Parts: sequence; structure tokens; C-alpha cells
Amino acid sequence: MNDWQINLYLAAIAIPLAAFVVQILGGRWLKELNAHIATAAIGTSFVLSLIGFVDYFVIEAPKHPVAHHHAEAEGESEGHKTETASSTAKTTDAKTTPGPLVWKGRFDWVSVGGGIQIPGRESTKSLTIPWEFAIDSLSAIMYLMVTLIATSIHVYSMGYMHGDRRYPRFFAYLSLFCFSMLALVGSANLFMVFMSWELVGVCSYLLIGHWYEEKKNADAANKAFIVNRVGDVGMLIGLGLLWTNLGTFNISEINHSLRNKAGELNIVSTESSSVVELRNQETGEPIVDGWTGKPRQIATWALVLAGLGVFAGCVGKSAQFPLHVWLPDAMAGPTPVSALIHAATMVAAGVYLVGRFFPLFTDEVLLTIGYAGGITLFIAATIAMVQVDYKKVLAYSTVSQLGYMMLGLGVGGWSAGLFHLLTHAFFKALLFLCAGSVYHSVHTYDMHVLGGLRKKMPRTATTMLIGTLAISGVPLFSGFYSKDAILASSLKFVSERPSHFLLFVLPTVGAAITAFYMFRLWLLLFYGESRSAKKDAHGHGHDHGHGHGHGDHHHDDPVAHAHESESIMTIPLMVLAAFAVFVGWPITILPFAEPIVEQMLLYSSPLPPIELGIFHWIAMGFSLVVAATGIGLAFAFYAWKTFDAKKFAESFQPLYRLFSAKWYFDEIYDLLLVKRTLDLAVAMRGFDKYVVDGVVNGAAMITVWASKLDGLFDKFAVDKLVNLFGDFIYLLGDRGRWIQTGRLRNYLMVLTVAVFGLFLGVVVWIQRG
Amino acid sequence: MSDFQLLTSLWLIPLAGSIGVLFAPKKSEHLVKWIALAICTVTFLISLLAFGAYTAPGDSSPMASTLRDRAENNLILTKLEGNGIVSSPKDLDVDGDGMINKLEITRCGMTPEVFDKIDKDKDGKLSSAEYAGLGVGDLVVREPWIPYFNIQYYLGLDGISLSLVLLTGLTSLLACGASWKIEKQVKGYYSLFLLLLASMMGVFMALDMFLFYIFFEVMLLPMYFLIAIWGGPNREYAAIKFLLFTLFGSVFILVGILILYYYGGDAEAMLGGNPFKAHSFDSIWVARAASETTYYGSYIQKWVFSLMLIGFIVKLPSFPFHTWLPDAHVEAPTPISMILAGVLLKIGGYGLIRLAWPLAPVGAYELATPVAAIGVFSIIYGALVAMAQTDFKKLVAYSSVSHMGYVTLGMAAVSLTADPKYYSYGVNGAMFMMIAHGITSAGMFFMVGVIYDRLHTRDLNKLGGLFQPMPLYGFASFIIFFGSMGLPGLCGFIAEVFVILGAFNFNYKLAILAATAVILTAGYILWTLQRVFLGPNQEHKHQPDLDMREWSISVPLIVLTVVLGVAPQWSLLNWMGPSVDNVVQAITSAKGMPSPTAKPADEKKIARPQTNSSVDPALSMINR
Repeated sequence: MNDWQINLYLAAIAIPLAAFVVQILGGRWLKELNAHIATAAIGTSFVLSLIGFVDYFVIEAPKHPVAHHHAEAEGESEGHKTETASSTAKTTDAKTTPGPLVWKGRFDWVSVGGGIQIPGRESTKSLTIPWEFAIDSLSAIMYLMVTLIATSIHVYSMGYMHGDRRYPRFFAYLSLFCFSMLALVGSANLFMVFMSWELVGVCSYLLIGHWYEEKKNADAANKAFIVNRVGDVGMLIGLGLLWTNLGTFNISEINHSLRNKAGELNIVSTESSSVVELRNQETGEPIVDGWTGKPRQIATWALVLAGLGVFAGCVGKSAQFPLHVWLPDAMAGPTPVSALIHAATMVAAGVYLVGRFFPLFTDEVLLTIGYAGGITLFIAATIAMVQVDYKKVLAYSTVSQLGYMMLGLGVGGWSAGLFHLLTHAFFKALLFLCAGSVYHSVHTYDMHVLGGLRKKMPRTATTMLIGTLAISGVPLFSGFYSKDAILASSLKFVSERPSHFLLFVLPTVGAAITAFYMFRLWLLLFYGESRSAKKDAHGHGHDHGHGHGHGDHHHDDPVAHAHESESIMTIPLMVLAAFAVFVGWPITILPFAEPIVEQMLLYSSPLPPIELGIFHWIAMGFSLVVAATGIGLAFAFYAWKTFDAKKFAESFQPLYRLFSAKWYFDEIYDLLLVKRTLDLAVAMRGFDKYVVDGVVNGAAMITVWASKLDGLFDKFAVDKLVNLFGDFIYLLGDRGRWIQTGRLRNYLMVLTVAVFGLFLGVVVWIQRG
Repeated sequence: MSDFQLLTSLWLIPLAGSIGVLFAPKKSEHLVKWIALAICTVTFLISLLAFGAYTAPGDSSPMASTLRDRAENNLILTKLEGNGIVSSPKDLDVDGDGMINKLEITRCGMTPEVFDKIDKDKDGKLSSAEYAGLGVGDLVVREPWIPYFNIQYYLGLDGISLSLVLLTGLTSLLACGASWKIEKQVKGYYSLFLLLLASMMGVFMALDMFLFYIFFEVMLLPMYFLIAIWGGPNREYAAIKFLLFTLFGSVFILVGILILYYYGGDAEAMLGGNPFKAHSFDSIWVARAASETTYYGSYIQKWVFSLMLIGFIVKLPSFPFHTWLPDAHVEAPTPISMILAGVLLKIGGYGLIRLAWPLAPVGAYELATPVAAIGVFSIIYGALVAMAQTDFKKLVAYSSVSHMGYVTLGMAAVSLTADPKYYSYGVNGAMFMMIAHGITSAGMFFMVGVIYDRLHTRDLNKLGGLFQPMPLYGFASFIIFFGSMGLPGLCGFIAEVFVILGAFNFNYKLAILAATAVILTAGYILWTLQRVFLGPNQEHKHQPDLDMREWSISVPLIVLTVVLGVAPQWSLLNWMGPSVDNVVQAITSAKGMPSPTAKPADEKKIARPQTNSSVDPALSMINR
């Protein structure tokens, strides 16, 4: 029997699906009403998630204390000390420490093999792939975050997309997306994750291609889907390896059986091989496979491969190096889509899954995750620095921030990475919506023709400033706390393994770059005066933009016609801005205690949390210094004009070119992978046409030739012999002539002879052998 | 309706229709179309009736017992009625009490054990009700046909064949609707069309290998003429190529069947109490011998398997015997392409599941790795060649080659060390692929036909932006193409994932290769959709959207694509799965398999409940 809470969450998943079905089938008649249906659906899901959230954290969770953490401890700073003490105590007394509260639901979906009965075998149960749902503190928070942001964005879209030619369909796809995303977050098994994973991908595809009339948009949609599929192959491999070896897709079952209570893998090594054995975490007894009767185990290399495979899926979805190339192109979709799917929720799913499946990853895999994150955050930050299109800046900034989350997880900071996921969701959704608001007003994405918008669009300017402060890591704004947690985790990691110092250097430098490009963005949009107005007076020339399409607004001053967006768009901005500030707050406001959201997360931590202590303080020092540097530089370049950005760019020409060319990833992939695959396809087509079919046609031709020769032989040799050998030979010749009467019959003749020949030959051979 | 009437009418009604339409009056082409449509509808309804009978609730429903049990019960019936001793069961009743007792039954060679099985109320006598209940409503028909060679008129349905019979019925009905625009020699067209339907139904129902072979060969004739007369510009080449390839393959199948018939194997092999002596075309019985005895050694099984494999992968088709398919598809008219992709290719897969593997499980196991490799190669090769096509129809044809590779792979992925339920996923995936591909590929060819009717081109480079003028068409195509691509929630996904999961249990490397193919599939499907539906639309601004006829052909395909993907268990696996499990069990527990783990030899010996082995004396007719 499922808990009532799980039914609550199932309803939250199902309502957007129902809304989608209504919209897609009735869209012709409902038209504009689609938007209201979609918004009402996700709004209802939000209310349900809120009820679940409150019930989880206020009513139910306090009844299930977890020894390794003080979820209900209201943020006392001595929490960490007691925690270490109790986690050692826990190992001696297993029964008194129940795990964190989890609401579970399960439905059989597919079961196969129940009819197989082998005598002497007990196991006749069928092998099932169920639909499983689980709500723990991580998913409860994720539900609230996803539904809140999605609701805001639905409301915002009603203003932003108004008058669009496919307005009803847009909302239908949004509903489908909400369903898939909520299903993904609620999934308790990897197979379901994979299904919803692909479904959010196809929603992303459909929405990126919303304005499919332009080839560029359709290309971007295809690119997003195919690059994601590359990652998904990895995931499929992980899926197969885990299922074959462990016999289940259930994430928490796998998590609990791979490691002991101290969080160490159950490795059993022999002289020739190393395997990880599945054991009951509480009792330490091996889990026995019902078929072979032996303990279930997986070779360590297969576990590493499975971990890498699952991570590959996450790399694709979360746009990590080397599969990050699709996300910036995905900005071809409408801006609310970029905010919801390509900033706040779907792209964070990769990070979420790494967090959810954390115990699966061996040390090697975690290190890979850390480096992938580090490289991504640095590369993306450098590219963001030189972009002219303000939406692209935000896109690369998203890639970079996702890199931070991955790095945080890779260095073992489970709660740090996921905490950043949550804070980032709010401030990045906010930033994108602000960007949309700006575009809605000025109809250009080129920062260099804008400027001084703060007077015309005060609400947008203020809320975007809040988002910018949050992402830059300014104290009291949410991003500060989560980034600090990541830096502290990586500092601790590096202090233990100094050879991996890059894992601290990259995020620290990256933080400075982030602060710089975000303030550059804000200053170029809102500070000073309109640069188009100036340009019209002074003729041509703007700083280092290389003529990125200004479209029809070349001669106009877009800022002159700018106006603040209507309230249906600005109210969601203000809601998100509020969250972008306080979601990171510790309960005491003082910046030393654990942030409340991080504590909530830690309640369901799959592994004992790491002790950061002093590293928090050191990291905070670094963090403040780099943020100040970045912001200062941005002001120096773009506000006070202490330095000239154009001249600066010229003096670092090669680097500048590398960054604006996005490190040439697209070109390299196109040359090495896309073109080569197409070449291979064309080569295969040729092979098929000329070799495979050539053999067929050749065989046919030889048969025809043979029959012709036979005919000639018949005419000149056999006919002559007829005179010599009389009637018997005449008969033979007659038969021979019959062969050549038609092509098809000739074949049939040859075939008939071949059947009997082959058959006789084989029978004789077999009888002998 | 008795089993005989039900199963026979499935092929006889279309056959009668095929002859009947020839006698339609001249200039009555419209009438002929309606008659053909009515016959297709009736045939489909009968197949639904068979489905209803098969899945009827309760212990006596055919689904509750295996095809093998049902077939053997029917053998007793045949024995009672046709062994020359008695002409009707009443003749057995020596003491004239209206009942048949044990003593009387031994006159026809039945053993007391069998008697007990039939004697449900255990009163030692067989009432006429009990006798009448024997073999009734079990969807198996068995009558002696050519007794000298032990050839029977022998039809039967289980989940595997029934799913394909339903697919045939539906696809033919839809294809009949899609044929509405055929103007050339309408009577001849529909006559051949119905003949094709009759032979396809026969192939899926035949359990006698000789009968199977006859239906298999009869199918070639209408298909040849349908391509050669109603096809495109290069139709004669395509038709001859199709005919020769299939004939080439069927020769191998025939030789395989004859080897099984004539082979004199292990003289001590006992099947159910009697020595087994081959000389039977009964596929169920011979498969049982192959699985439960060592009569056919692994050497001869390798031969039989190889011959049948070649025969059926020509039909499937798989690399390297696939080149007839693109030509046949490109030249064939739209409805024939639908039948070809939707049903005819499935006969190859059905032959693998029903004949090649069960008749030679040990041989198949020993050749599993190369066969699986052929499957994987076909998957990747088909996808790559599809990607390079510019002809819409050819692209879809090559995608069939790619998808049918999953059938080969799913079947070949036998692992003896692991739980056979993993292998069951592979075989279920292969079956699911056949059904899913039957639906999506018929849909895809129909979609190509729709656009060809309007624009008279299939060149992908000349299409584009069609979503805007034709939103319904776009909607239908996106769902069907996504279904083929393997998007979760649609039918192709279940098939692909099941096969890949099954393959992981067999060979990591092949499984990983097969998994990478999903990138290529996504590549060519999305690229195609983009070239047809997306992008700017200059040339084709005012195309009419789907009309009522086209829409009503699309809707069943769309609905099935979604339903099979969302509820695979409810819609298909519930009633198909048990039959697949029987096949899996017979294959994995076959006697003579190389034993990977030291297990007591008798553990695998007989995989049937003891009561079943006692039917055997009654089987002596077959073994004479």
C-alpha cells in the first residue's frame, strides 16, 4: 500500500500529462485556452508539491531522525561534531538508527519470463521492470523547485509568447515537459529515469524547434537531440551492465547494497580479479541471486564502466565537456523555454542523477566527474566573457555553473553540488526571464547596440541585478552560499590529494570570470546611455563585436522604443528574485551556519557527509576576493572606462579569437565526427550498391552467360552429336534447348537442379559421416 | 465456431474472395474495391475472434496451456477418429453403455495415463462430454492430409503466431484502404491482393512444415505480379530480384526440413516412451525431439540451423541478403510496400522463432556469436546506408534492414549460465520488434505514399516545410517516425531496449555496439523529419492535409504506436509472453547443450510435467 503522500506526488506528475493530452487533442478548438489549462495544471502540481514538502519536513521527517545528520537541529553550528560521534556509534548499533524517511510507490509495468519452468529450479518468478517512485528530501525539494519555477515561467510565457503563431502548441509541449521532468525527479529506478530522460529530451527538441521555419532552429533542435543521444548510449550501457549483473534497476537498492555503512565499496579481491559484492547494508550479509544461488556481484571494471556510462548520460544532459556544444545552440528556442528547460530544470537533471546515484560512482569515476566539471566550468566561462549576444552569455554561464555542480559532486561534496543546483535554478531562471523581458522590449540580442535600459525598464534592471549579484557570489545572495560550499569541498579534496590542485584552481579562477562577465552583461545592458543613439551620431563603430547580426534594427535605436514589460511578465521576475536571494540563507542569517536548504538535503545523504570545518572559512576568503576582483574589473572596463575593452582584446588577439570561436569545438566535431559519419554512410551506400548488389547482379549475369554458352554448346556440339548417337542423344538435346527459352525459367531450372543436388549431396554426406 | 472453421476461414475466406472477384462483372471496379475491403474486414474480424478465443479467461482457455500440450491433445483426437480401427468414437464403445472405459480405449493404443488426463471427473469412464471437450476450442486443427508422408493439415495459434495474425489482418485492412487509388486492372490487383492475404495467414498458422512451405511458396506468386505489374518504372527488375532471392532462400529451408524428416539419428532416443524415428513434418513434435532427446546431434543441428537461418534471413532481410528489399520497396505501390514491410518481413522473423531456433537449439547455440554479430552488423549497416539516402522510400526500406537486425540479435542472445529470463527479454524484444516495426514501418510507407500522391516526388532534397500546410500529416508522421526511432512511450523503444538488455547478458561488446546504433537511428530519422517537415516552405504552400480516408488509415497506427509503448504488458506481453517463454524454455533447457556449470545430468532431462510424456503410444502413427 502506498503512502498517501506518494499519491499526492503521483497526482502532481499526472496532472500535467492530462493537461498535455487535452491540449494536443483539443488544441484546434481550445486555442488560447491551452495556456490557461497548462498554467492551471502546473499550478496545481505546485500546490501539491508544497503540501508534500511541508508534510515531509515539518511533520514527518522529525519523527525519523537520522543519526548521521541533524536535519531537525535548526542549524546549530556544533552539528558536525555530534554527527561524527554518532556515525561511529551507529556502526555498533544498527537497529536503533532507521534511515531517512522515504515515501515509496511501485507499480509493475513489464514482467517477462514468468512462464519458464525448469525442473530443479526454484525461481519461477518473472523478471520485472516496475514503475517505482520514491520521495526523499532531495526529491521533495526538487519537486518544489521545479513546479515553482515552471509555474512562474508559464505565467511569464502567457505574456511573452502572446500572439505567437503556435501559441497553443507551445503550452502543450510545456505541459509534456513538466510531466516528464516531474516523472524524472520522482523516479526510483534507472529504467524509468532513462525513459523520462529521453522524454524531456524530446520536449527540448520540440521546443528548440518551435520556430522551425528557420533552418538554424531546426538544426539546433536536431543537434540537441543527437548530442544527447550520444550521452544516452552511455546510459544504456550502464543500464545493461547494472541490470545484467545486479538484477535490478532500483537506485536505492543498488546504492545500499554496493557500500557498507561507512560508505566503502564491498570489494572482494582475489589474485586474478576484483569484484564488488552486493550486501545488505544493515546486516552485511551477501545478497544471493535466486537463479545461480551465488552472491550477486559485479566485476569492479564493469562497475567503473557502468558508472562512466551513467555519467556519460549526465554529461550529455547537463551539457558538460565534451558534449556541451548543444546547449548554446539550444538558445534558438523561445526564451521561456531556455529559462525552464535549458537553465533551471532539464539541464540540471544530469547533476541530479549523479547526486541520486552517488554511491554507484567509484573513486575513478568521481575524479572523472570532477575534472569534467572543472574543465567545463573554465572553458564555458572564458567563452561567456567575449560573447556579444546576451542570451549566449547566459547560455555559456549555465554550462559553466553546471560544471561547478559536477565538480562539487566529483570532489565528494554531495550536498554542495546539489545545493548549487537549487540556488542556480532560481537565479538562472530569473536571469533568462530578465533577458527575455529585455528582448521583448528591444527585439535584439546584441549587447553592443543597447545600454542605459535601467531607466526604461526599472523592474527588469533591478531583478536582473539581484540575479547577477547572486551568480557572482556576493554575500547574502544565494549563490554565495552554494559556491562557497563547492569551493570548500574542493579545497578539502585538494588538501588531501594535492596533485589534483587544478580542481581548486579552476573553480576559483572561474568564479572571478563569472563575476566579471555577469557584471559586464548587466552594465552593457542597463548602465550608461544607449550606444545606438551614440552610434547614429558618430557614424559606425562599436567595441569588439564583429558584426553579429543586428537584424533590422541597425539604423534604429532599439533603446529609444524600449518600455517595461507588462506585469504578467515582471511579477514572475520578482517572485524568482526573492527566491534567488533567500534560498541560500542559513537560518540565522549569519554566514557561518549551514544553509537551511543544505541541511534539508543532507537529511537524505546517501553517504556519510564530509566534514568541512576550517575549509569553509578559507574558501569563503578566496570566494570573496575573486568575486570582488571580477566585479571590480567589470566596472573598470564597462562603467568607469578605466581600461578600453577593445584595445585589451586586441592585445590578447589569439586568446580572444579562441574564446570567441568557442574553442573551435563545433568545427572539430564537424570535421572529425559528423563529416566522417556521413562519409561512412555514403561509403556504405556505395558498398551496398556496387559490392553487395554487384555480387547479386554479377551472379545473375554469370547464370545468364552460362545458359547462353549452354545454348551454343547445345546448338553446335550437341546437335552434331545427335547425328552420331541417335535418338538418345536427340532427347538430351531437346531438353537442353528447353533450358534457353526464357531467363526466369532458366533460373528456376538451375534452382531445381540445385535443390536436388544439394539435398542429395547433403543426405549422402550425412549418412556417411 | 469450431477450431476447424475458425482457423480455416482465416485463409479460406480471402482465398475464396481472390477467386470470387475475378468473376465480378466488367466495369464494376468500384464494387470490386468494396468487396475486397469487406473481405479484409471480415478476415480481420475473424482474427479478432481468434484473439478473443485465445485470451478468454479461465483454465480452459487456449492461453492457459502451451501450444505443445494442445497440439498433442489434438493428436489423440486424430488418433481416435482416424487410425483405421474405428471410424467414430462410438465404435469404441464395445459394451454399449454410451461411455468409453479404459479397457476400450486401449484398443486404439491410448495409455491409461492419457485416459486419466482426459477423464476429468475420474469415474473411470469417458463420457461423450469429456470426449467432446477434448481438443475443442484450443485453436489447433489437425487432420491427416497425405498420410503416406505423414503430412497433416495442421494449423494452430499461440501468442507468437496470433500476434502476427492480428498484425496481418490489420495491415491488410489498412493496405486495402490505401489501395483505393489503384486504377490499373483493378480486378487482377485485388485478386492477387487477397491471395497474398490468404497465404500470409496460412504461413503464420501452419504447424506442419510441409504446409508451411506450401503457403510460403504460394505467397511469392501474388507478390511477384503485384510488383511487376503495378510497380514503378524499374518494376520488372525489382520483381524478379524479389522472386529469385526468396526462392533462393526457400530452397535452403526446404533442404533443412527434409534433413529433419529423413535424418536417421540416435537410435536410442526416446520421446515420451517410444523410440523417436523422425519422418515427421510436425514442427511441434520434431522441435520437442530436438529439445528433449539427443536424436539430432549438435553436428546435424548446426546444418539444419544454418540452412534455415539463411532461408529466413533472406526474408527478414539481413545483411548480406538484403538488397532485394530496397528495390522491391521503391518499385512497389504504396499498399504493397505496407504489406511487404508490415507483414512479409515478419515471416522471416517468425521462421526464426518458430522453426530455426526450436528445431535446432543446440546448433543455434553453437553458432550464436556469429549470428548475433550478423544482427548487430545489420543494425549498424542499415542505419548508415539509410542515412545516406535521398529517396524517402529507400531510406525507410533501409531502416527496416536496421530494425530487423534487432530480431536476429534478440534471438541469438542465449546465455546458459544466467537466468533464462534475461534471454526471455531478448526473444520478447525480438517479437515486440516485429509487431512494433510492423506498425511503424507500414505507417512510414503510408506516409511516404501520401506525399508521393500529392507531389509526385520522393526526393528528400525537394521536400521541406510541410508541417505548416499539413499539420495533421505532420502530427501522424512525427508520432510514427518517433515510434520507429525508439522514443520512450512509443512502441519501438520497448523492442530496442529489451533486445539490448537481453544482449548484455550474452556479450558485452556486441551489446555496446548495438547500443551505439541508437545515435545513428536518431540521426537519420531526425534528419529526414527535418528535410520533409521543417525549414522554410516555398514550393509546397497549399497542399491539402490528410483527407478522411488517409486519416482513418493513420489513426489505428498512431493509437497502436502509443498504446504498445505505454502499456506493453497489457497490450501484448500478457498474452504473447507465455508463448515466448515456452520457446525460451525449450531452447535453454535443450538436451545436448554444452554444460557450462557442473549440474546433475538428469536435472535438465525433461522439462515437462510427467503426465505429458504419457501421450506417446498414441503418437505411434507419426512415428511409424
